[in-house]
Amino acid sequence: MTFSWSTTGTLSIASMDAALSVDTFPTGFQSALGRPPKIEIESLPLEAPVIKAVTLRIPRVVPKIISFTFPEAPTWGQPKAPVPPKPPTLSAGFVESPAETASATPAEGDAPKPEPRKLTRIKPPGDIIKLEDRLYYVLQPPLETLVRSDSLQFPFEPFPYQFAGVAFLYPRYAAILADEMGLGKTMQSITAVRMLVRSGEIRSCLLVCPKPLVTNWKREFSLWAPEIPVTIIEGDQARRRWQWTEANTPVRIANYELLMRDRDLLERSADGKPGLHFDLVMLDEAQRIKNINNTTSEIVRGISRSRQWALTGTPIENSPDDLVGIFEFLSPGYLRTGMTAKQMGELAGDYILRRTKEMVLTDMPPKLFRDAEIELSPQQQATYEMAENEGVMHLNEMGEQITIQHVFELVLRLKQICNFDPLTGASSKLERLVADMEEIAASGKKAIVFSQWVHALHKMMPALERFGPLQYHGQIPSAKRDPILKEFKENPKRHMILMSYGAGSVGLNLQFCEYVFLFDRWWNPAIEDQAINRAHRIGAKGAVTVTRMLAMGTIEERINQVLEHKRDIFNTVMEQTGAPGSLGLSQADIFGLFNLRTPKGPIKAAA
Amino acid sequence: MSVNSALAIGFLTLGEHSELGLFGGYLVLNVAGRPLEFHCTAPVKANRAQEILYGNTLRPYLYGEQIGQTLIKKAKANVGVVLTDVEHALSARPHIELPLAIVAADAASLSGPRLLPMKLGPHHLAVDVNYSADKAAINDRLSNLLDQLDLLEPFTRIREALEEAQKSARAQAA
Repeated sequence: MTFSWSTTGTLSIASMDAALSVDTFPTGFQSALGRPPKIEIESLPLEAPVIKAVTLRIPRVVPKIISFTFPEAPTWGQPKAPVPPKPPTLSAGFVESPAETASATPAEGDAPKPEPRKLTRIKPPGDIIKLEDRLYYVLQPPLETLVRSDSLQFPFEPFPYQFAGVAFLYPRYAAILADEMGLGKTMQSITAVRMLVRSGEIRSCLLVCPKPLVTNWKREFSLWAPEIPVTIIEGDQARRRWQWTEANTPVRIANYELLMRDRDLLERSADGKPGLHFDLVMLDEAQRIKNINNTTSEIVRGISRSRQWALTGTPIENSPDDLVGIFEFLSPGYLRTGMTAKQMGELAGDYILRRTKEMVLTDMPPKLFRDAEIELSPQQQATYEMAENEGVMHLNEMGEQITIQHVFELVLRLKQICNFDPLTGASSKLERLVADMEEIAASGKKAIVFSQWVHALHKMMPALERFGPLQYHGQIPSAKRDPILKEFKENPKRHMILMSYGAGSVGLNLQFCEYVFLFDRWWNPAIEDQAINRAHRIGAKGAVTVTRMLAMGTIEERINQVLEHKRDIFNTVMEQTGAPGSLGLSQADIFGLFNLRTPKGPIKAAA
Repeated sequence: MSVNSALAIGFLTLGEHSELGLFGGYLVLNVAGRPLEFHCTAPVKANRAQEILYGNTLRPYLYGEQIGQTLIKKAKANVGVVLTDVEHALSARPHIELPLAIVAADAASLSGPRLLPMKLGPHHLAVDVNYSADKAAINDRLSNLLDQLDLLEPFTRIREALEEAQKSARAQAA
């Protein structure tokens, strides 16, 4: 069939027969086409090996966690706005080092200050056992961070060794800060107290110091911890009782003498009433309690307290047993008399921090010693020799009756003659002092003169008048002492101050003086060092020249030899074991000065 | 008191001991840098199956998922940002709700393909590329604290604390 369209739009259909003729030929094959196929089915087994699945369990094991939570003290201030960098400052106690000043100034584009190179971390002492307590200290920020974050503000950038001192004190319940005079024990201890108060670890601190230093401590507290209220224990009994018991201040300052008068308040009474309790008791000039039998030592040991610190530049004045006395306050029974210096050093090592200026202040102005070897005038020499010969003869005549007191009296008598001839008042030392002062005054400098005797200071005054001398000693009332120091510091016409070792050797900051004269020698070089360090302190204007006056061919020369020898021993022991040796003159030393025989046999001079 | 006064910052680090295994430490500081909480793990050691099956992903798993997130979730303080000095610890991020960044002393240490670096004051940080929004959150919460915070120093404290804890454990075992 076919279809077609015409041009007129007509569909045409044509059909045709599709049955085509097919011819077939007999081949025999066609019949096979019509036969159905024969299908045979064969079954094959499909047996595959069974696969075994192994399940590995990977449980999410929660690790064991140990947690510690620390109290957040609200009194730690939150950071404030960034504080502009402080200019380098030279002050009584602190000098901003150039390196730290540089690091404190941010580079352009780096807004925050880079961390100082060395960070001071608080390390827990060996006697803190509990892990939580140890971690509390380990996890505290470096002190430099506290300063930078404004949590603690300082008037001046402390030295790294001072940060180390604070980090030493802060975690300790018993500690001796035994830095050499002038390294800033006051600032370090105040800062540690400040941190403890601010962190809420202590609420009450009692500072005990010598009476002349009370105002100094108050001033230092207002400088280094201005936000911490301080009460000075003073006045009549009723007032003091109120100050002890009612005054709500975290820090109280009392002098050693007051403790005696207010003992009944401090100690547990006979009827069992508890005395006052302090979270921290801090002793300044703690060598005062080296003798465990003295009353002061007994009283401070009797004060109820949680922490106890001792501050002293001379933990050992005469013998290592002095350290035992201080430890009876810190940790009773820990040290015992008779221990060797090495044993003591090993036991006490974790409790004591001592640095010298040579160790920490490499850029400190030098301290120059010069021994002014003075020849006594013929008249003074004659007086001296007569007194010594007669004195020694008298001592020898005493035989078995001789005591250390007799020898001591002769030494004092001879030393006084070395200062001034008792007959004529002549003094070769004074002549030398006047000569030296001419130059010092002419160059606008200032000097301190130390003597063992107040009456010797009085005798010097007329010859020194033109140098505007001031006096500072035990006969000067406490109320007048600070004004005298102020006058000395601020009046350019006051070129010298005359001081007794007792009043002027501790706690005063006279670093504007460049000259120190030891008119006579003290028995103990540690006391002399304290005196010298009034001037040779941090912030010293320049090299400090120390003139030690020695009357040649006299007892003074012999004492000097013994003391120098002892100083050498002290240095050796401290370096090797950390425990100081004996510094002062012992009984044997004093007998040895005159090669005297004692009831126990001949005593040789220490050598 | 500033907005950030109640904000705390978490510092996470991990260390490996050749015999004992992995230790993790998490220190939470207030904005003045003082410690509020410290959490540390007992030693964690991968078993053989974990070593085989996790392959290269074992460390990210242990550091981030197993130890990191567990420590971070343990803190009770109001932590606003978590910082770490170990890159693998970033693997904790999918498991926590806090912005997490790695801190390094220099930018070169933060060049991995998973890291999205950022600079915050003098500090070099990086967040996980999958959590780029963390950059803004971290910048918002830390930028005004940079004068008083050293972001690397606390990790030293954690390592010392872990040493103390190990010493204590040894002493108890002895």
